[in-house]
Amino acid sequence: MILQSTIMPEQASEMAWHVDNLIWFITGVCGVVGLGVYVAMLVFCIQYRRPDDRIGPAPTPRILGSHKLELIWSVIPLFIFLGFFAWGAYVYNMALHPPEDAPEIYVVGKQWMWKVQYPGGQRVILGQNALTFADDVGGAGYFEGLMVLPVGRPVKIVTTSEDVIHDFGVPAFRQKIDVVPGRYTTTWYLPTKTGTYDVFCDQYCGTNHSLMVGKLVVVEPAEYDAWLAGTWRPGPANRDKTGVDGSLAHQGRQLFMKLNCIGCHNVQNSKAPVLEEIYGTRRPLKGGTSVVADDNYLRESIRRPREKVREGWEPIMPHFDAAKASEEDLIKVIAYIKSLKKGDTPKRNEDTPAPVGAETEPKAGPTSAGEGKQ
Amino acid sequence: MSASVGALRHHFEDIEQQRGAERLGMWMFLATEILFFGGAFLAYTVYRLMYPKDFAAISGQLNVLIAGINTVLLLTSSLTMTLAIRAAQYGHNGPLRFYLGVSILLGSAFMGFKAYEYAQDYHEGLVPWTSNFGQETLHGDSQPLIKKWEADGVAPQRVRLFMSFYFILTGIHGVHLVVGIGVISYLWVRAYLKTLTPDKYVAVEVTSLYWHLVDAIWLFLMPLLYLAGPHHSLHF
Amino acid sequence: MSAVIDPTTNHYENTPPEAGPKSYLSDGYSIWSWLFTVDHKRIGVLYLVMLLIFFAVGGFLAGLIRLNLIQPSGSILENDQYNRVFTGHGVIMLFLFLIPAVPGVMGNFFVPIMVGAKDMAFPKLNIGSWYVWMIGAVFMVWAVLAGGIDTGWTLYPPYSTRSAHTNVVTGVFGAFITGFSSIMTGLNILVTIHRMRAPGMTWGRLPLFVWAMYATSLIQLLATPVLAMALMLLMVENGSQALGMPIGIFDPALDGDPVLFQHLFWFYSHPAVYIMILPGMGIISEIITCFSRKNIFGYTAVAWSSVGIAIVGFLVWAHHMFVAGISYYAALLFSLLSMLVAVPSAIKVFNWVSTLYRGAISFQAPMIFALGFIVLFNVGGLTGLYLATLGSDIHLHDTYFIVAHFHFVMVGGMVLAFLGGLHFWWPKMFGVMYSDFWSRMAAVLIIVGYALTFMPQFWLGYHGMPRRYPNYPADMQFLNVMSSAGYTVQLAGFLLIGTYLALSLFLGKKAGPNPWAATGLEWAVQSPPTTHNFEATPRVVCGPYEYSLNLTQTGETADVR
Repeated sequence: MILQSTIMPEQASEMAWHVDNLIWFITGVCGVVGLGVYVAMLVFCIQYRRPDDRIGPAPTPRILGSHKLELIWSVIPLFIFLGFFAWGAYVYNMALHPPEDAPEIYVVGKQWMWKVQYPGGQRVILGQNALTFADDVGGAGYFEGLMVLPVGRPVKIVTTSEDVIHDFGVPAFRQKIDVVPGRYTTTWYLPTKTGTYDVFCDQYCGTNHSLMVGKLVVVEPAEYDAWLAGTWRPGPANRDKTGVDGSLAHQGRQLFMKLNCIGCHNVQNSKAPVLEEIYGTRRPLKGGTSVVADDNYLRESIRRPREKVREGWEPIMPHFDAAKASEEDLIKVIAYIKSLKKGDTPKRNEDTPAPVGAETEPKAGPTSAGEGKQ
Repeated sequence: MSASVGALRHHFEDIEQQRGAERLGMWMFLATEILFFGGAFLAYTVYRLMYPKDFAAISGQLNVLIAGINTVLLLTSSLTMTLAIRAAQYGHNGPLRFYLGVSILLGSAFMGFKAYEYAQDYHEGLVPWTSNFGQETLHGDSQPLIKKWEADGVAPQRVRLFMSFYFILTGIHGVHLVVGIGVISYLWVRAYLKTLTPDKYVAVEVTSLYWHLVDAIWLFLMPLLYLAGPHHSLHF
Repeated sequence: MSAVIDPTTNHYENTPPEAGPKSYLSDGYSIWSWLFTVDHKRIGVLYLVMLLIFFAVGGFLAGLIRLNLIQPSGSILENDQYNRVFTGHGVIMLFLFLIPAVPGVMGNFFVPIMVGAKDMAFPKLNIGSWYVWMIGAVFMVWAVLAGGIDTGWTLYPPYSTRSAHTNVVTGVFGAFITGFSSIMTGLNILVTIHRMRAPGMTWGRLPLFVWAMYATSLIQLLATPVLAMALMLLMVENGSQALGMPIGIFDPALDGDPVLFQHLFWFYSHPAVYIMILPGMGIISEIITCFSRKNIFGYTAVAWSSVGIAIVGFLVWAHHMFVAGISYYAALLFSLLSMLVAVPSAIKVFNWVSTLYRGAISFQAPMIFALGFIVLFNVGGLTGLYLATLGSDIHLHDTYFIVAHFHFVMVGGMVLAFLGGLHFWWPKMFGVMYSDFWSRMAAVLIIVGYALTFMPQFWLGYHGMPRRYPNYPADMQFLNVMSSAGYTVQLAGFLLIGTYLALSLFLGKKAGPNPWAATGLEWAVQSPPTTHNFEATPRVVCGPYEYSLNLTQTGETADVR
């Protein structure tokens, strides 16, 4: 059986188009050069072969070299390679710098599954497959859990790992990013074609590395919005691997209260900075340096708060290690902090928090309305 | 020189070629040692840049007095080894044995102080994989280390990381030192048996080169480890 | 001197051997005379015997891999077994074959003779290097027999320090020890080349194989210690787990940094691939010149390109880490430097092909291997450009494209060069000749089988098939089966080589000092050489490839002898 798309794999994102152009350009140039070398070899081997394959002395001209040729075939390849470098850097630059306002989807890698969390609270689990690829004839979505993305809209993927290094790779998007424990790494996609695509783990991570795979489905924006709103789910094979519990920010707010962050980070009697609208701003630290409050900084401030203390405040915050707050908990709290606008910090004693920045309240499980079509 | 015949190996053309080869070989070996320790220095430096506060705090607990004494011992032994080369070249056997012997003694004294220091680290609860890690109260403190770290915002895990590097670096250095002492002892025996003749002085020269490298590595290692933070007490 | 090949008929002549000085092979027959030898030639043979055994083991593991991948769901191995098999294949092929192969066999055997010396600078260090290598090999084999390790040869933590429930410390310790052997060999070769050249053997008259070995030895000397430290830190971290008080040198849960390991590891492992390929390139220069009867085109360029590759090769390691989370600016720098290191390799290929121009080319087995090297290494080198280019590497990293790329340079390049060198120097090393027909057949089989095995893998990688997968999407089966079929063709070739080379030792026609009418110093001594190589110190009068002037380096005519 020949590959479905024999010449190229499906090109389903904007980056894929750029990467493919680059790859085929390199192929063209290298093909010409390589072919040239082969043709020269063939011609010389035929034209200058010895009759009868003799061994021993033979009258040949004493050619030692040519400075001109050496220069030519050093400089020209160098410029060609620098051309590859420049184009490659341009594409890489695009791949590394997502659009400012792209919504974030969090992916937590763990042996041997992917836990995908949407801002609206949807959860999908990819991987953890009892089945293998051989059973997925025709790509009908046997895999439990389908990651859903909208066509034509950029989306940022923020990943971390709970254990060892993994890699979240989507060949149809021509993108992959190592998923490293202890930090966040990001990539982004702008899907351009609806369809179902493979997700692979591309960094060896143990026994079931090859089963840490899944499918992602790109759908029309209307369906995607319905997915975020919890009224639509792709495919029948979802069972209890997907769920909707309220937006990430909403869950983060609940954790903010439950873990008693509010005890110090409140407005009335603050022993710690108020966290409204701090994401992405530059924060002066004790000792004279400053740091931009990005995802990694927020994560570090929860795990190791006394490392980088905000100027004007004391290092009194206790640290929250994995036992007190898992990676998924951190994602939710950070999503909440990112969503905090001026005046939104809850009161200290508030005990029934209204959803902040959330779109839905928690719904019931898979039996709810809208088993959408695939 | 008929005396050279004894020193010349069969595959060399003449004694100068042999000596040149032996010296070059030792310099190349020293290059590998620099890269070996360099890898560890790099890893240590990366963590020192990432965790300056924790590393400074624990570095201040190390025994800088002993480290200072050890530095003096090692520097002196480098001097005596250099003087040994000259004694070997001139065939002055008595001074040769003296200088080699002093180098051995100084190197052994270094190891003695190191052993004492390791034992002290153990008793102070600074050895990463022991059950009393962080549990001891040190002189001048009112609470055990682990509480002090909590109060200062120092992470015990990072202390453990530092101490691991401390033991790995000083341990590997110590192994190199012991090997050096062994080789110098072998030279001393040859000098005693009068088989270390002037034409074979290169043996002393290359050994001395090795010894200088071990010394030089210590000169980098010591400030990196011991002087990364303020010391509040000087004690033995 | 007995003539081996009659130039008029080009057939091998069967003339009786003459009585002459004892060769190094007959200088003592006991096992102790071999195990306690300090003769660089015997040490080369000791390396050769063990290397062939390890290559067979690594090749067997490769067979298991390809057999398993015939079916999308894995045909014969469980996932866990497969992981141990591919790790074992990588570790054995790299540390117990590719890195020691040419330096240990041909480097040891021929560098002293080629520079006109009686032995290496430090003969005892030389035999020591073999023993150290064997001790390291014992630990690695022990790790394999005790159940293997399943981390991949790249040993990335935290997996290798936390989840890998296998014999990581034993295997890593074995690699650590073999590293010292590599350093010892490199040091020996460097000092020999610097200090023991015969009168008249200037740097500009050294054979290009010697230049290549010089560059290789520089890398062996300077890069291996960094690996030693990376492995030592890994072993300490692993050991601390066993002691129950884990230290997290590379474990982020304990404030370590896993990417730091990658930097330390690749700082060695990238230059290591140049340790593997540079000697092979040196061999190709020797063969191409002899079998086209011409001087090398651009001696200075080829010589300096070896040194250039060695030096720049130290500056490119993070091109293995473009998607690992390094900064954009670091990625730019390493991609740029990787482009620079590609230029000297291109220069070599152009120079070799130009050497063929207006030559007098014959196609005995060594030449077929050499030409095959150029064909396959060309692909390997060019595909490296896709990986040095940032934008394309994102897609191709950790897929079968990478697997194909490195096998093209390591097998299509290095193994072919090793076989070519073995066939070129076999009559010199053992004084016998092998079958001309079967050797050419084997060369073609291996080249064809190799291409069949690995060309499809570029396609698979571009389509996204990840590496280190024991199973894969069903629509990729056809190409996987094609790849596995190629393995059997290669296997036939290798078995053929083993057979006729072994047979030649007993039944092969005796070879004279110079069966190929070559010009190097090694062809001026008898086959096999005496223990001391030269009875009198040779005087070198010209460069190493004066085929057009019909002149050997000692000033005699380059005839078949």
